Amino acid sequence: MHSSHSWGLVTGHGFIPSAAFPAAKGCGLGAGAFARLLKGHDFSRAIASQKRTRALAPAQCLFHARGNLSFVFLCLLLLASSAALHAQGNYEIQVYGAETVAPKTLMVELHSNFTAVGQKYYIDGQAPTNHAEHETVELTQGINDWSEVGFYIFTSEQSGLGAQWVGDHIRPRVRVPESWGWPVGVSLSTEVGYQRALFSYDTWTWEIRPIVDQTRGRWYWAVNPALERTWHGPDVNLGIGFSPAAKISYDFNKYVSGGFEYYADYGSITDIASLHDQQQQIFPAVDLNVSPNWEINFGVGLGPTAATDRWIVKGILGRRFTWGHQPPQPLPQGP
Amino acid sequence: MASSNPLASTLGSLIAPHLSRRAFLRRSTAASLWIASPLAALPRAQAAIQNNAVLADYTLEISELEWEIAPGKRIHTSAYNGQIPGPLLRLTEGKPVTIDVVNRLTRPEIVHWHGQWIPPSVDGSMEEGTPMIAPGARTRIQFTPRPFGLHWYHTHIHANRDFHLGLYNGQFGFLLVEPSVGASSSARASSRDGWEASPGAYDQEHFLVLHEWDAYFVASDDGSEEVAYRYGTINGRMLGHADPISVRPGQRILLHILNASATLPHWLALPGHQFQIVALDGRPVPTQAKVDTLRLGPAERISALVTMDHPGVWILGETDPELRDAGLGAVIEYAGSTSKPQWTDPASLSWDYRAFGDATPHIGPKPDIALPLVFTSKFQGHGALNRWMIDGKSFPDQVPITFRQGLRHRLIFNNRSMDDHPIHLHRHAFELASIAGKPTSGVYKDVVIVRAGTVVEANLIPDNPGPTLFHCHQQDHMDLGFMALIHYA
Repeated sequence: MHSSHSWGLVTGHGFIPSAAFPAAKGCGLGAGAFARLLKGHDFSRAIASQKRTRALAPAQCLFHARGNLSFVFLCLLLLASSAALHAQGNYEIQVYGAETVAPKTLMVELHSNFTAVGQKYYIDGQAPTNHAEHETVELTQGINDWSEVGFYIFTSEQSGLGAQWVGDHIRPRVRVPESWGWPVGVSLSTEVGYQRALFSYDTWTWEIRPIVDQTRGRWYWAVNPALERTWHGPDVNLGIGFSPAAKISYDFNKYVSGGFEYYADYGSITDIASLHDQQQQIFPAVDLNVSPNWEINFGVGLGPTAATDRWIVKGILGRRFTWGHQPPQPLPQGP
Repeated sequence: MASSNPLASTLGSLIAPHLSRRAFLRRSTAASLWIASPLAALPRAQAAIQNNAVLADYTLEISELEWEIAPGKRIHTSAYNGQIPGPLLRLTEGKPVTIDVVNRLTRPEIVHWHGQWIPPSVDGSMEEGTPMIAPGARTRIQFTPRPFGLHWYHTHIHANRDFHLGLYNGQFGFLLVEPSVGASSSARASSRDGWEASPGAYDQEHFLVLHEWDAYFVASDDGSEEVAYRYGTINGRMLGHADPISVRPGQRILLHILNASATLPHWLALPGHQFQIVALDGRPVPTQAKVDTLRLGPAERISALVTMDHPGVWILGETDPELRDAGLGAVIEYAGSTSKPQWTDPASLSWDYRAFGDATPHIGPKPDIALPLVFTSKFQGHGALNRWMIDGKSFPDQVPITFRQGLRHRLIFNNRSMDDHPIHLHRHAFELASIAGKPTSGVYKDVVIVRAGTVVEANLIPDNPGPTLFHCHQQDHMDLGFMALIHYA
């Protein structure tokens, strides 16, 4: 067994809508400097709370080209406005395991994520994340023993907006069958979807996510070096972003596993953002393996960088449903 | 598939001692060992051992083997005499036999004569003291077979996480012990005489061995690792890739089925037909009940009669579609039927040993010794196999378990784990006394499935002194501690 635990311990992935954080890598000015400059405009918190750290290419070019104060201000203005292009992640916070849902099985998951401390202000009409409650319904249907298709319904509820539909994604996924006997689980996921501009200016996005994992004794680890691309929105020209996620956990007993989940966004793969501007999140997380049919995950995430929501509480509740013709099962003991 | 193979006539003499002449003639021409490969047990004349003055009755050669389970599907394994299953060895109860075993492998090996009441020095368990057979070595094994019945032989080495060892490979074969002429001591030992009730004539006899190949680890429902397989076979061939069993309407066929799986219990069905159970683990049963499905834990044997009264082309196969698709099945083809093999799920899966016991269970005298044995597991991680324990200890650590010769023992198998376990006692057979609290009698076994969370009780009067191995016959359970060595006081 080299996939995630049979009870879906860590399957899933992060919702990666496109976004743009005005990282200044290449411009000689980091996001911290931006934040200091923008304090008077109440943008510092907004910038610091972005989920994404992709650089804004036009601003960088301008900054490089001129370097004088007027251009700095021009860049800042552009960057400040582009900060609003960020998307709000935190809809599905999960590291994928290589295991896929079994055929004739529907996995229904509810992802509940609350941003305890996050972005507090509207930025160019894009809603803040602070105290936002994101509920995502994920439906994953197993096709065969090596593939599945997932579908997402993203919603958000917060003060002043009420409950809002955010968008939908579809996610086919294939894996190396367990019967191949590979020492690690290997899977490849791709995800395409739409999200409303109120929540992400990049309305159409695409992601490809390799997945490698292994369960060895009481230890489990998984790595998801995801790549993402904007199809429609301001980030179309930014190229491919790099958003890895990883997990390591330990089985305290048969029912309780605990460990750490890591989520990051390094910006464009050809223009990695500075650490300050990267999104970095660490979630101490617990998985409860109470039944093969249930998946329960809970974690509290800390965003240590300025570009990350500070505190997020996440929970996942999943239930497997089998359907279709099932083979006969043994009767209970006795005649 | 009629065959005149002389080694194929068999248990009929055990279970149908009163055959009519017509039935006997039919049997002698139609009885067959339904395997694609020829029997390769070398008879006396062919098994001469240059270094020994006395020729062996049989020679088994253990060697690596490339075996085709279906066109284009070849497995690399090890086996006896270059065939799967190994050759059928026909012995006679009470008549000493000499078997030479040649180990052509690069690892030590050992052959266990499963179901035989023989001394520990030859039983085929290094834990009991049987010498291992060194790589390249030849060893001579001599014992006096008892009891009669359908038994088997197989490797008895540990595999741990190596799927090229132990029962994950092809080292298994039938061992058929026919009763001696006249009254059989073991028949007397059965004390039921139920076996003497003739099941009636039969027209064909087939030996079927279930096994799986290309094992790998998967996550299990109980959270730990377990073993899964890519392929399954009956007599070394996947479903649809062996000659069908050809029958005619009205015929009765006698099936001898062995589950030689390393780890999996199996449920079998033959749509439209019922199985009349004749013997379990080679021992005739008092009540030859008819059932729709068969359950065989690893190492269990079932002998059953089937009346061919539903013409067509049918699959005798695993009820689990995944296992059936992996190859665990055989085709039964009526004469004149040419359709595609048909499968219909049975309404339910039901198996109860008590159905084959005495109609009214005999409650014998109070046992002299009650011997409770508690089975538990220890979780070692989602990425590991469970550790198994008997009375809280994993082999080789164990609490002392002692038999006292001649006394009535009540073995109490208390399975507190979440898995079913096929429990096997070497060199002895026991009589089932209760299943999950419900009494029974008359069913003698050397392997019994103790379902998760239940208790099975069995009676035993030990009469075969020497170290006796007791273990779960699931290879991965045995490897990880589910074993104990019982000593005689």
